[in-house]
Amino acid sequence: MDTGFHSTVRTARTVAAMEWTLEWRQGHQLASVGLFALSSVYVAFQAASRGTAPEAWTAMLWLVYLFSGFTAVGRLFDRERSATRRYLQWTVEPLGLMLGKLLHAILTTTALSAIVLGAFVLFLGWPGEGVRTSLVVLAAWLGGVSMTTTLVFVTAVASQVQSGGSTLAAILGLPLLLPQLILATRMTTGALQGTPWSILGEIPLFLAALSAGTSVMACILFPYIWRA
Amino acid sequence: MNCIMFHILFLSSLEGFFFGSGKAHVVTGVALTILAGIALSLWRMDRRLTRIESESNDTP
Amino acid sequence: MSNWNVLWKFGGILLLAYVIVVGFGTPLQPGLVEASPDRLVPGPVTLELHAVGQPFADEVGSTDGHRLILRSGTDLIDTRLIEVAPHRVQAEVTIPEQMPSPALDAFLFTPATGTLFLGNAFFVEGAGSGPVADEFKAKAPDERSPDLGFSFPYQPNIMESIRNLLWHVPMWFAMFFVMGIGFVASLMQLRTDRIEWDHRGEAAVRTGLVFGLLGLATGSLWARWTWGAWWVSDPQLNGALVTVLLYTGYLILRAAMSDDERVGRLSAVYNVFAFVMLVILLMVLPRYTESLHPGKDGNPGFNSYDLDNSLRAVFYPAVIGWGALCYWMYTLRLRMNRAEHRLLTK
Repeated sequence: MDTGFHSTVRTARTVAAMEWTLEWRQGHQLASVGLFALSSVYVAFQAASRGTAPEAWTAMLWLVYLFSGFTAVGRLFDRERSATRRYLQWTVEPLGLMLGKLLHAILTTTALSAIVLGAFVLFLGWPGEGVRTSLVVLAAWLGGVSMTTTLVFVTAVASQVQSGGSTLAAILGLPLLLPQLILATRMTTGALQGTPWSILGEIPLFLAALSAGTSVMACILFPYIWRA
Repeated sequence: MNCIMFHILFLSSLEGFFFGSGKAHVVTGVALTILAGIALSLWRMDRRLTRIESESNDTP
Repeated sequence: MSNWNVLWKFGGILLLAYVIVVGFGTPLQPGLVEASPDRLVPGPVTLELHAVGQPFADEVGSTDGHRLILRSGTDLIDTRLIEVAPHRVQAEVTIPEQMPSPALDAFLFTPATGTLFLGNAFFVEGAGSGPVADEFKAKAPDERSPDLGFSFPYQPNIMESIRNLLWHVPMWFAMFFVMGIGFVASLMQLRTDRIEWDHRGEAAVRTGLVFGLLGLATGSLWARWTWGAWWVSDPQLNGALVTVLLYTGYLILRAAMSDDERVGRLSAVYNVFAFVMLVILLMVLPRYTESLHPGKDGNPGFNSYDLDNSLRAVFYPAVIGWGALCYWMYTLRLRMNRAEHRLLTK
């Protein structure tokens, strides 16, 4: 295995492409995430009819989004448990593998945020007038990205534990996600209430910095997990 | 002058909000007792560990 | 145990004993806390003001040298003191028909303890807007700054609870200190893969978690007194809670595994990540967002209190004392880990 910059990028691309292909081939996994998200949104719609307050809208959006994210990312390292793992361990560079997984997670999040946000608008409608749509979309996407990058790291750690890895990922992941969720929910509520960009502008920067930070940490630390 | 200062600072301050009720002394006493308890238990743990360490060094 | 070991361990305990005695025994500088009645109308009225901390008058209750002056906008209104008790004054005043602002600040000039101030002490209803008539006007007496001796500064809202500074802040410092040790140990563990570093990392996180929980508890008490709630949503508090949960996750992660080498490697990886998050959450993020918590620009613990020499004379020993206690607990846990490992692998 050679380790130059180009080969790392190539590995990352290959891993992401492989994940994506496998997701489509084994359609039931992708469908299960979509089904989970849609049925949760429908429950939210049943509980709170049209005309919800922005705060409640945000709370429901992020709860649905959070647990869909767990379902989507939680099994990202499942394949690396078995014989596949032993094969990959000798052939794939860990940094490239991690970058690939992160790339795939970001793509998944993009799709997931589109599905969840779309379903919310479809069923519940926007809460009130003067919603800054672009800011809400940005909040959902950036919040989702910073949420999944953290989850990728936590799942990678938890997948190394023989038993109860997915429960462990949830236990370890929730506290780590709190800061991102606090920032993202604040931004979403603000955008729903029509708060201008100049006031909310700091939050996307923080979210971007947090996701960049956790991604870098995940990339630095992953080789040590991989060797274990 | 010092004597007056002492009177103002300590004796009459006992009449104050926090000291007048005598609660400050109780709080101080309780805190000191807890500190003494913590110190004692840590000390005993320390000695026990020293003994275990020397025992395991004797029989390698 | 060597002499040096006895010295720092018991030195730390003695420092803490000193902190407890002096921290609870030192009087607070006086400050006005309460004024009645809170609604006034123009005309003659009797005012009452209460104070906490050191008394500003002696038992005899002479009004000599004491003055109470009210301020509306920039105009001063004179009053006549009728009673001065160690923690209370009563004064007669005629509220004028016209004043620049309906909110009145109170200044109490005392010979023993200097000038006491209470902002927005009274609120006047039904007075016209305009300058105060000359007959009511007062001239401020000369500012006196008497020596208050060894005493803690009075801060509005915080009052006697300023003593918590000697518990809450050093506990967080102690937590940072051992978590830093744990971080270094985990880095070394990743470099060398030696079990000794894992022992150190585990001991550090466990001890740090104890101090983190103590820091949360003392902080919660303080929040109840100053902000009126046991918990408020605030960047610094969120960060503190997340930090404690994060390190609890570290212990859960360890408990979920049985094989030593895997435990060492994975928990070291997690610990490095957790410490970076701790620095971001407690030292970086709160400085860039609005926070009730003091000290967000500069030192993350406190800002204005550290100017006071009396407080400093107790605060620094408190930091050293809590640090020593924390480090002692860390070494004990470390030696326990080593002994346990020796027993299990023999």
